[in-house]
Amino acid sequence: MTDFLQSERAADLLAAEHGPDDPFAAAIRATPMAMIVTDARQADNPIIFANDAFLALTGYRRDEVIGRNCRLLQGPDSDPAAVARLRDAVAASEAIALDILNYRKDGSMFWNALYLSPVRDKASEVAFFCASLVDVSDKKQVEFELGDTRERLEAAVADRTRELSLALEQKTALLHEVDHRVKNNLQLISSLLLLQNRRVTDPAVKTSLRGMLERVSAIATVHRRLFQSDDVERFDVSAFVRDLVSDMMGSARRDDITVRLDLERVDVAAAKAAPLALVISELFSNTLRHAFPEARGGEIFVGITRADSEFRIEIADNGVGMENSAASGGFGLTIIQLLCQQLKARSETTSADPGTRVVVHLPVNGLHH
Amino acid sequence: MTERPLDVLIVEDEVLLAAELEFLLDEVGYKAVGHAMSSGEAVAMANALHPDLALVDVHLQDGPTGVEVARTIHDKCGGVTLFMTANVKRLPDDFAGACGVIGKPYSSHGVKSALAYLAVCLRNGQAPGPPPIGLDLAPAYAEHWGLNDLPRAS
Repeated sequence: MTDFLQSERAADLLAAEHGPDDPFAAAIRATPMAMIVTDARQADNPIIFANDAFLALTGYRRDEVIGRNCRLLQGPDSDPAAVARLRDAVAASEAIALDILNYRKDGSMFWNALYLSPVRDKASEVAFFCASLVDVSDKKQVEFELGDTRERLEAAVADRTRELSLALEQKTALLHEVDHRVKNNLQLISSLLLLQNRRVTDPAVKTSLRGMLERVSAIATVHRRLFQSDDVERFDVSAFVRDLVSDMMGSARRDDITVRLDLERVDVAAAKAAPLALVISELFSNTLRHAFPEARGGEIFVGITRADSEFRIEIADNGVGMENSAASGGFGLTIIQLLCQQLKARSETTSADPGTRVVVHLPVNGLHH
Repeated sequence: MTERPLDVLIVEDEVLLAAELEFLLDEVGYKAVGHAMSSGEAVAMANALHPDLALVDVHLQDGPTGVEVARTIHDKCGGVTLFMTANVKRLPDDFAGACGVIGKPYSSHGVKSALAYLAVCLRNGQAPGPPPIGLDLAPAYAEHWGLNDLPRAS
């Protein structure tokens, strides 16, 4: 007996159980969804029933599919992984839903959303498999196109990101290079002033050179501090003051003078860093040089606080006081006045009795209220 | 200092900086034994002069070769290196075997304090306290000189 005849016989048996008056069988024959039944008890699980929708979808005649295994729908581009999943589900007698690329009789392809489930007899043995097939080629096409578009977009985004990262890298490298040059040049200027200071003997020239060196050092300290932090836009004034005071006291070698610091953490815009640093340096240097003449010791206080809309920078001493000091209204004072103007800051000098107190009021956002 | 003055090799391609540094070393009682401007000169001088301390800039006449100079001095010449550079952030995490770094622009006082501090560390094998402002120690040396046992300064 040929496979075909055997399958015909199985189909007849099935039909005998479900005659023309069986509403379930009638529904399956007439539904526009392609459906088949296979005989699990026969070798190689052949198709024993195919409805008209199945024949319309695949292009085969009924006698061309009865007795054949479903794999006649597979072709060279059917995904082997999908085929394997299908085979495993059948072997394990489990239901499975998957999308698989199938071939019609004329060789044209369609995407098949396949649903396969086992049918058990009264003894719970698997007797049949029932499968429904839906042509989802249109949906797949849209999916592929969307996937394509997404891939193109992702590739474009990746390209752009690479360009931007490269540009950022170059910018960072340039920033490092400029930072490096600024620092080296400041070091060079300091060295020039120091070398000349070693040569000259005139005390007036020496004093001038010392003053210039202090100013350059103040700016140098600013640059060292600016790039130490991660935020190059902000400048930590208190950290600067600590560096400056340590440096100036170290160079002055005045063990008879103590410094008291009360520094609140205060940040200003990087653009204000150098002028503010120069003002503070000038004021501190002035106090250090003039408040305590002739080995008269004492204390210098530096305080930074933030109050409402302004920063308050105070430098006070308990030295000889303004009227007794040799402090001149010289170049240093001019610098302070000009830079305060630039910073829109206000500086007040009062008697601390004893000594002098200078307070600089710096508006937080560049404006006085 | 009553001890023998430390022999120092200056590795710096800016001659004016090197000249001022020599004066500075002299003021604090060190002896500048040589001045190299390229990595080749630096390694040759380190081999010939056996300095106690080499002050090394990262950027030399033949490029950013200071890091390799420090590594060679550490591995082959047995001297201690201190970086003096504006490129603090570019130094490798292990400082290439150097004991620390002074960031440029430095001040005379900063360099003097750092050198005085290092002299004590080198002589006693033990740090007298936390390093002065302007000097950052390499992690290995900070541990070696017992700094990790000290309470950290804020």
